[in-house]
Amino acid sequence: MRKYVLKRLAQVMVILFCILTILFVLFRLAPGDPVTRMVDPEMTPEESQHLIEQLGLDQPIWKQYLIYLKNCSTGEFGYSIHYGEPVAKVIWEKLPNTILLFTTAVLLSAMVGISWGKIAAWRKGKATDLGMTIAALVTHTLFLPWLALLLVWIFAYQLDWFPITGMVSDEVWLDPDAGFFTKAADVLYHMVLPLTTLFLIHFGSYLLVMRSSMLDTLKEDYILLARAKGLTERDIRNKHAAPNAWLPVVTSVGLSLAFSINGGALTETVFSWPGIGRELVFAVSQNDYPLAQASFMLISTVVLLSNVVVDVLYAYLDPRIRY
Amino acid sequence: MENKTVQILKAKRRALWRQRFMENWRVFMRNPLGRIGMSLLVMFGLMAVCSYIPPMIDPMYHPMTGVDPKVVSSVGPSWQHWLGTDFMGRDIFSQLLAGARVAFLVGVSAAFMSVVLGTAVGMTAGYMGRFTDTALMRLADMIMVLPTLLVVLMLAALFGQLSIWMIVLMIALFRWPGVSRIIRAQTLSLKQRPFIDAARVSGASHLRIIFRHIMPNVLPLAFLYMTFRVTSAIVIEAGLAFLGFGDPGTVSWGMMLQWVWKTGYMFQAPYWLLPPGICISLITLSFYMLGRAMDEVLDPRLRDETQAG
Repeated sequence: MRKYVLKRLAQVMVILFCILTILFVLFRLAPGDPVTRMVDPEMTPEESQHLIEQLGLDQPIWKQYLIYLKNCSTGEFGYSIHYGEPVAKVIWEKLPNTILLFTTAVLLSAMVGISWGKIAAWRKGKATDLGMTIAALVTHTLFLPWLALLLVWIFAYQLDWFPITGMVSDEVWLDPDAGFFTKAADVLYHMVLPLTTLFLIHFGSYLLVMRSSMLDTLKEDYILLARAKGLTERDIRNKHAAPNAWLPVVTSVGLSLAFSINGGALTETVFSWPGIGRELVFAVSQNDYPLAQASFMLISTVVLLSNVVVDVLYAYLDPRIRY
Repeated sequence: MENKTVQILKAKRRALWRQRFMENWRVFMRNPLGRIGMSLLVMFGLMAVCSYIPPMIDPMYHPMTGVDPKVVSSVGPSWQHWLGTDFMGRDIFSQLLAGARVAFLVGVSAAFMSVVLGTAVGMTAGYMGRFTDTALMRLADMIMVLPTLLVVLMLAALFGQLSIWMIVLMIALFRWPGVSRIIRAQTLSLKQRPFIDAARVSGASHLRIIFRHIMPNVLPLAFLYMTFRVTSAIVIEAGLAFLGFGDPGTVSWGMMLQWVWKTGYMFQAPYWLLPPGICISLITLSFYMLGRAMDEVLDPRLRDETQAG
């Protein structure tokens, strides 16, 4: 098992190295002077000279590449042009926010998708099944930013139940008396709408996968055996059929991670959720290349690592697979 | 004499094909998903065709440049403008029609390109095996885990404004791995069949075997995957346009959503916020349903299942 995890981590490193190299090549191929794209024009000459030396922009190209790799591995991504701060500082603050929203959304939709898909397959052909399948199909194909705008319009603007944007309210966080739970509740309150958006988009595909996988499992001989033994229907469903059926769902969670992070970036942008996805969109629109590059690298790392987590989970859930 | 035999054989083959097509079509249309998806698509197709009409009636109905001189900000639906106008007096209904055209253009061309690429790569990897297979599949794995929307965004950061064809090309270049995996698996099983050996001993080259003997057998599957790729291409383009990185020369549904969001009319103009989103969601749904129905045509196992329940 440990060997397998190490092997997967080594693969992640190779892929990251490839992405870094491709980005480096593309950056040199792109129109415009690398120095003006990496260095803030408002810096003093000494500061910009220091930055150019740090990034190796005055060196021959092969040396630039080596310095670039070294900088990336130590997290030195240069200075953000818009914020005037080291890029690493800007994005490290945003990373936990993205991970919070992203993981909660993926876990919640997978859990709901699995348990509802189980019921839909069990009640195949009945009204429950039909209703759930149609709901899954429709929500799954909704256009994410539009759904987000719609939720904001209805629940935040018309009904005024939830805040329109942001992650925290200042009056709670600047209040010295506010304890941990008050603050957590405040974040949760802001998280309801973005989480609902991501949940509605994602649970449908998991539900459909779970439903068809469960239908396959129910045809197996051991289900017949379980029934012959006289087990209760509930036990057959939850203990004999479901554990075998959710493996394909785990695979589909892994395959849809890239799709989820796309959705995450769109959701963060609509709700002004201070995460890396929104930072990437913002950086691209502001021509802040150092920030865009670092956010992109960090997002890729998050996606690749979560893929490893999903694969390990799969191996853990399926006793037939031992690496 | 011989000519006649060939002709008869050809006619028989055509008849067989027609019969098979009609049978598949019947299975397809019996499926409610297939019927709904097909009718929705026909509706969107009509919208795309009709998009040429409004600008011909009056230049003020041009989706991009036409401005109603009497309107200075967004107004609601009226006889003049069926769905109202946007912030500078452009007709929303004609924009919606033009959006259908762009969606079909982007969806179908990106899907076609990525399926061609994916099929070629999948067949090559499956047929050649060994090193080629490993190299191509590793590449596919690498591209598969990247979030396409953000990759295209990053390319926009590097190269500036992307044109609609660049966007289509990028989507195609990053969406082929899924197709190639499926086609590879299919090729691997085909490779074991006797007719491939027969072709090889009669002296067919690798290229001939791949394109003449393997390709006709994997094409139906590739075609099925095309419908799923269409939806993902449309959604990616719409997402990109929504974030403000679409082609500024085209009016797509994502672009319309971006305008209503960025100009702050979101809360006052439901007649502007609702239609483009409904259209994107419905076209995605219809291609998805089409794909599912085709799945049943190609996979008889699934067919039995739906008929039973």
